Order: sequence, then C-alpha cells, then structure tokens
Amino acid sequence: MYKTTGFISFFLRRLTGVALVIYLFLHILVIGSVNAGPEAFNARLNAVQTPIFKLAEIALLAAVVYHALDGIRLLIVHYFDVTEYRKSMFYAVIVVATILVIAGGVPIFLFMLETAS
Amino acid sequence: MRVFQMQRISAIALLIFLTIHMIVVHYPPFHINFDNILVRLQNPVWKAIDIAFLFFVLIHALTGAYVVITDFERAFDYRKALAWIAVVIGVVAFIYGSMTVWAFQPPA
Amino acid sequence: MANNNRRTVTVRIQRFNPDADAKPHMQEYQVELVQGMTVLDALHEIKTHQDGGVTFRRSCRHAICGSCAMNINGRNTLACKTPLKNEIDKHGRVTIRPLPYLPIIKDLVVDRTTFWEEYLRVKPWLIPPDDIPEKEFRMSPEEVHALNNAETCIMCGACYSSCAVIGLNKKYIGPHALLKAFMRVLDPRDAAPAERLAEVSGADGVYRCHTIFNCIDACPKGLNPTQAIETLRKLAQKRQKYEQARRERQKHLNEPIP
Repeated sequence: MYKTTGFISFFLRRLTGVALVIYLFLHILVIGSVNAGPEAFNARLNAVQTPIFKLAEIALLAAVVYHALDGIRLLIVHYFDVTEYRKSMFYAVIVVATILVIAGGVPIFLFMLETAS
Repeated sequence: MRVFQMQRISAIALLIFLTIHMIVVHYPPFHINFDNILVRLQNPVWKAIDIAFLFFVLIHALTGAYVVITDFERAFDYRKALAWIAVVIGVVAFIYGSMTVWAFQPPA
Repeated sequence: MANNNRRTVTVRIQRFNPDADAKPHMQEYQVELVQGMTVLDALHEIKTHQDGGVTFRRSCRHAICGSCAMNINGRNTLACKTPLKNEIDKHGRVTIRPLPYLPIIKDLVVDRTTFWEEYLRVKPWLIPPDDIPEKEFRMSPEEVHALNNAETCIMCGACYSSCAVIGLNKKYIGPHALLKAFMRVLDPRDAAPAERLAEVSGADGVYRCHTIFNCIDACPKGLNPTQAIETLRKLAQKRQKYEQARRERQKHLNEPIP
C-alpha cells in the first residue's frame, strides 16, 4: 500500500462511487413504486423517511459532494497543467466538501428533529 | 477511450443536472409524497430534465462500475462481456426510470 | 546522542527467504551513523559486517543505474541517493521494504518481469524516418523543453510499483512505459507517433490511469509521468492529424532550427 494524498483521494472516489451506484439503483426502485399507483408510492416513501433514513441522507450528501468536487479536480488536471499543485488541490476539495456538507446537512438534520418530535 | 470520454461528458452533465436535482428536489427538506412531487412534474419541461438526468446518471454509474470492475486483473479479460451486461442494465433501467417519470400524472 | 558524529541508529529491513519463510518478516539492525552516509551505505554496512544474508540489488551508487529502488519509510526511492540522517531525523528509524505490489524474490529483490515486458511493448526505441539527413537530427529548444526531462528516466521502477492501478492489474502498461512512449511520441525525429498512440490508447493504456499522482511523488528523478499520460490522452484523440504534422516537420530536418 502506498499512502499519499493521491491514494486517499482515489480510495474515497472509489468508495463513494460504488456507494452511489448502489444507491442509484435502490433510488430507481423506490421511486419506481409509483408505477403501481400513488398509494403504493406514498406507502413506500413513508417507509424511507424515518429519522434513520434522514441521517443516511446526510451521508449520501457527503458522498455526492466529495465525488463531485473530486471530479472537478480531475477535470482541472485533465485540461490544465497543474500536477504540481496536486496536494493543495486535494486539501481544497476536502475543505470545500466539508463546508458544503455542513451547509447542506444542517437543514436535513433540523428537518429530521422537526419530524421526529 | 470511448468509456473514458463517456464518463467525462456525463460527469460534466451531472455537475449541472445533479446540482439542479439536489437544490430543487431536496431543499429545503420536506416530507415527500405523491402530491407534492406531482406539482413539479406536471410541467413537461421538468419531465424532460428528469429523463435527461436519468440518462446521464446511468451512463456515469455504469461506466464507473465497469472501470472499477475491470481494474481487477481477473475481470480484465471479460471486459467485452461486462460492457454488454452494462449496456443491458442501462437500457432496462432507462426504460423503467422513464416509465416512472411518466407515471407522475394527475389521477384520472 | 550528544556526539552527533557517532550515534547508533536502527535500521529495519523486511526479510524473506523463499526456501525457509512462509511470509516476510521484519528484522532490526543497529548501524553506526557516519556523516554523509546513505541508506545504501547502511545496507552495505549490514551485509559486510552483520548479516551476509541480506539481499538487495545495487550497482552504480550514484543514482543513475536504477538498481537500488526500494521502499524506504513508506516511499519508493533510490537507496543510494537517500541520506540516512534525513530519514532518521524525520522518522526516528529507517524501515526498508522491497518495492510494493511486485512479487518478492528474496529480501529486497523483486520480480520485475511485467515491468520490462510492458516497457518493450511501447517500442522504446527511435523509429527513424525514411529520409535520414546527412548531418545530425536537430531538435529546437522548444521541442526539447516539451519533453519535460522525460529522457532522464533511469527505469528504476519506483513509479511503476507505487501505482495503485499496477497493484490491482498488472496488465496496465504502467507509468514508466507510458513516459517512454510520451518521449518517443513527442520526439520530432520519430516517424511513427500514430502507431505508438494507437498502442497506448487501448483499455490497458492511458485510459486506465486514474490520476492518483503516486508516480510523481515516487520518481527519484523528479519526472512527471502523470502529465505525460495526460498529454498522450489528448494526442491519442487526433493521432492521424498529429502524424501528418510530424511528416511536415520531418521535411525540414536539414534546415537550420528556426
């Protein structure tokens, strides 16, 4: 194992990527319940809007945000000659992702508390 | 090369579509049920956007999964078969997903 | 400790004897740190005075043969150009392992078969044009600059064995061979860039690189295989045009450099 910022970014990219693929197909199946009519849809959606699922949604948001920012970083590397800034770019991705996840996670968390009470 | 380009193009498309999807569909958080989804999806433009989103997200997910799997040396020799499996899964999921988007019609 | 010129430091070496051991284990040695000592010097000290069984590759001792590439304190580098004192100051002791991801033959010696096979695959030699000028082939300073020192690669294997893709899939061409291919593709004297680009743009070529940057971090010569791979990706998409431009360029080999 060769641990560098590059390896960490690669590992996280893979991990979030695989998680998002699994989530995508579950998402298609859950929303697909509307094919059986609005009642089936509402019943299924009620089952996946409990507080635990809301917490999982924050994790999902983190995965999406990291994967997207990492992708932007790679696109920048593809089109501009910036390999010497690879470490700072990785740290920038982590910082921006953290800020976005907090900004996006707080409303979900507050909503979760609201519905739980 | 084709897989690589498909992934880059769909990545750029997703940066736009997923941002729209997250902001419009999930913020501010609300309790999702059939009626409040219907409000947005009655507009055919939103239906078109959602189907385009589905198209790109499936391309990105399946090319991504293909690359992850073929990175393993044992799977590398079966990449032709894996590519066809990905195409089949993609077509089926696209049809099913499009039906789902169409199904958001006001009850007759 | 007080006397900086005479102190004993710990060197840990990963040992593996295929005839006796089931799996590699670490062994510690104490070495007297002499000023100006490199990690390779410490290995020599151990082999001559403490344990003749320690096995490693080395040849020139001044960072040009590429034999002594190994993993020192978690980083792939050349043992002969790593000062022992720097590693001790940074980590307290020195841990030496063979190059990762490659089959170990004995102790610090690894099997580099796939490394050389992939190297030969990209045809790492010059394919000259039919019209060879009477005087020497000349390159402009810009053309030399575009190579980004790629010609100074010594084939030590540090980048190859740091690459996470190589860890997963040895069928990937690898950063070392792609850097060589990059050098030949950009060389204005080479006559077959399109053929080279076709070779490296398959499923096991430049598109299997996941931009992990380990090759840049590992290279003891400070080269940039990642950027070379990015350049090859761009050129691979317009390789016929590129070959056409190369033919135009080679019509002017005899003329003075602009």
